[in-house]
Amino acid sequence: MKILRIFILSGLLLAGSSDALSKASAAMKAGMYKEALGHISVSQQSDMTNPDIYRMKALLHEAVDEPNHALIAWQYCLKYSKNEILSSEAKVHIQSLSQE
Amino acid sequence: MIKPLLSISIIILFSSCWNGSAVNESYDFNTVSYIKIIPVNDHTYISGSGEMVETSLSHSFLKYGFNVNELSSDFPIITLGHGGKTLELSCIITEFTDSEIIIVPYRYEDHGSTTTTVSQSASADADTDNAKTSSSTTTKTDGGAISSGSKVNYTSARVGIMLKMIDADSEALVWSNSYWYSSLELHRAMEICVRNGVNQMRKLFQ
Repeated sequence: MKILRIFILSGLLLAGSSDALSKASAAMKAGMYKEALGHISVSQQSDMTNPDIYRMKALLHEAVDEPNHALIAWQYCLKYSKNEILSSEAKVHIQSLSQE
Repeated sequence: MIKPLLSISIIILFSSCWNGSAVNESYDFNTVSYIKIIPVNDHTYISGSGEMVETSLSHSFLKYGFNVNELSSDFPIITLGHGGKTLELSCIITEFTDSEIIIVPYRYEDHGSTTTTVSQSASADADTDNAKTSSSTTTKTDGGAISSGSKVNYTSARVGIMLKMIDADSEALVWSNSYWYSSLELHRAMEICVRNGVNQMRKLFQ
């Protein structure tokens, strides 16, 4: 008797987003910045207006020498931030990256 | 009508939030021949930080095309024009944080999952010409949660400096400004922080 078992997993559209940010954090700590950026993109799908994630993303883009992407991430960080300190940091980075 | 107003608002917002430098308007920067970089003291908690910032200052000046001389004197000297005046550039490290823990709170929507298992079997009996096939399907659905919250952390570095230039003869303060920058790596935070300062200073001599 021949038995075929096929497992089809579906409906996992966004269930992994919390895990993705944890992976991003772990990758950052290990200095694997490119990998961290990949995980952040996944995690952002369910939290598009989180300024702290944009900050994280912007710092990573700066670390891997992608100033244009970093600038965009800081602009979103500033857009969604309601925290004065975070907004101030975003402005400093936007100003600095705009000079390049 | 709305677009011009929005643009003006953004310009005002940025111009008001960016720290401007303090300049002695009556001072003629075209008469400056040398900038002497005064040794930078270490930050209270990190020994060697002064030398790092001092080296970064020389590096940034060199990168912007200035003549930097480190052999003729105890202090690195930047050579400019022929006006004869000398400025003394001093730097105070206001912040030198290697690893500041950043907490990132976030929410995520668990949309659940659907697992479908298909079992299929086929059998062909030797005595008969009939082949039998059967299949069954099992579907499990996890409803998930509408919204959940959690947090992760990582570390970032932050460097802050205060720069000032004093005329060596008159001892008048002619220019000063403060800068800070954050990065995932300390050396990058320091380099960009210093570079931003030098970039602004060089405009005085153009």
